[in-house]
Amino acid sequence: MMLGRPLLARSAPLLACLGLLGIWQVAALIINTDSFPTALDAIRAIPSILGDKESLINILASLRRMAIGFGVAVIVSIPLGLMMGRSRAVAAFFNPLLMVTYPVPKAALMPIIMLWLGVGDLAKMLVIFLGVSLPVIYHSFQGAKAVEEKMLWSGAAMGLSAAQRMIRIVLPAALPEILTGCRTGLVLALITMVTSEMIARQSGAGNILFNALDMGQYDTVYAMIIIIGAMGIGLDAAFENMRGRLVKWSEPGFDIPLSFA
Amino acid sequence: MNARAVTSDVLLGMVPIALLIAIWQAVGSLGYAPATLLPPPGMVFARLAQQLLTRTFQQEIAATLFRLFTGFLIAVVVGVTIGLFAATNPAINAVVRPIVRVLAPLPKVALYPALLLLLGFGHESKITLVVADALFPILLSTYYGASMVEQKLIWSAMAAGTPRRQILFKVVLPAAVPSILTGCRIGLVISCIVVFLAEMITSTDGLGHVLVTAARTFQAVDMFVPLITISLLGLILNGLLQGLRSYLLRGFPEV
Repeated sequence: MMLGRPLLARSAPLLACLGLLGIWQVAALIINTDSFPTALDAIRAIPSILGDKESLINILASLRRMAIGFGVAVIVSIPLGLMMGRSRAVAAFFNPLLMVTYPVPKAALMPIIMLWLGVGDLAKMLVIFLGVSLPVIYHSFQGAKAVEEKMLWSGAAMGLSAAQRMIRIVLPAALPEILTGCRTGLVLALITMVTSEMIARQSGAGNILFNALDMGQYDTVYAMIIIIGAMGIGLDAAFENMRGRLVKWSEPGFDIPLSFA
Repeated sequence: MNARAVTSDVLLGMVPIALLIAIWQAVGSLGYAPATLLPPPGMVFARLAQQLLTRTFQQEIAATLFRLFTGFLIAVVVGVTIGLFAATNPAINAVVRPIVRVLAPLPKVALYPALLLLLGFGHESKITLVVADALFPILLSTYYGASMVEQKLIWSAMAAGTPRRQILFKVVLPAAVPSILTGCRIGLVISCIVVFLAEMITSTDGLGHVLVTAARTFQAVDMFVPLITISLLGLILNGLLQGLRSYLLRGFPEV
């Protein structure tokens, strides 16, 4: 029992994956149309996509843009969020702006940004940056706001400067919340990347998906969906693993963040 | 916080927004960007006001809103139901939990081509995409809210003779309402964004389609108008739900 439970708990997501693929397989066999290949057919098409040099380069280029957009967004957003959490004036200054920009569909900015920056990498990275920033700022803000005042007072009494208090007290105390924001941001980066590529249709994973759709290569469409889905699940699992190690001391309130969009 | 502090906070918050609009205006009037690339704010808002009065634009908004609300309502019904049952029934929980774990971080927009193939280019595929995206925040918030209901409340209800099935609706559901409404607010804004993106990717009507049409003909003003419209819709709906929340929760302590 002691050994069996964690094993079952750990393999449950895998079982869920297999179960979902199984349902897909059965549904495809029942519906039996060209536009809905079976799960096995789709999985069989994956090696040919990943083996094709051009599509592999395309996918890797997508991932590179995503990583840069995500990285820059995190570097900018965490300090901003922490400052908002510790200073009421900074929070009052930025909050309405963030509230107004919250419901703007970021990937929809793609055509406008492309007018200014061209079709290159910069436009795509900027859109990803915009998509990732908000949740990271918001969670850093909440994390920094919840830091106990007493800890800051003791820090000040022991002669830490404001900047030192920020780095040595606020940052570690807010870290669990910050990482939750980053986890949401990471999945959002992938979503924004795929969406913007679907809209701009220049290159990348989203473009392969829609090209295959236009050409009626249905196996490739579904194989690409599996690849992108696996990226989302894999990135999230990897990040969750790292987060668990970094902030072992903190019990997460929710084990899946509420919003991934 | 006294009233004066609140007023000064609000004024402070207006600064970056006013600054942004001022820069937007200045870039145009100082000649750094031609109006074909970045139309000045006055032009965009005048165009927006003019468009809002035309019949065709109203029809586009109606098409978008129809998809948005249908998808959102389905997501609310399905999400709250699954969330409640998963929180109260260990067997259902054991099945739902791993599936949600797998599906929540999956980029739903990648499913859109498959939905197009299966459901066609009409309303159905877009509504399904909205459901897929809005479902998880609502399901998870219901689940978290319902799992944190105080056991004492349930015991008291049982001691008072409430049948097991009624406890779900009389105790668990009301106690989870604050959390559910938070999830609904997130889900609603997500629905707004997703329906717009889906319409941009493939569509023949709706606000997203207006943007794409304008982009194809390089009409910068007409690109801004649908984008601002959908953002305003998101803000208004978010505000309405917030109002509903504070009305429904008027007895509750601040949560």
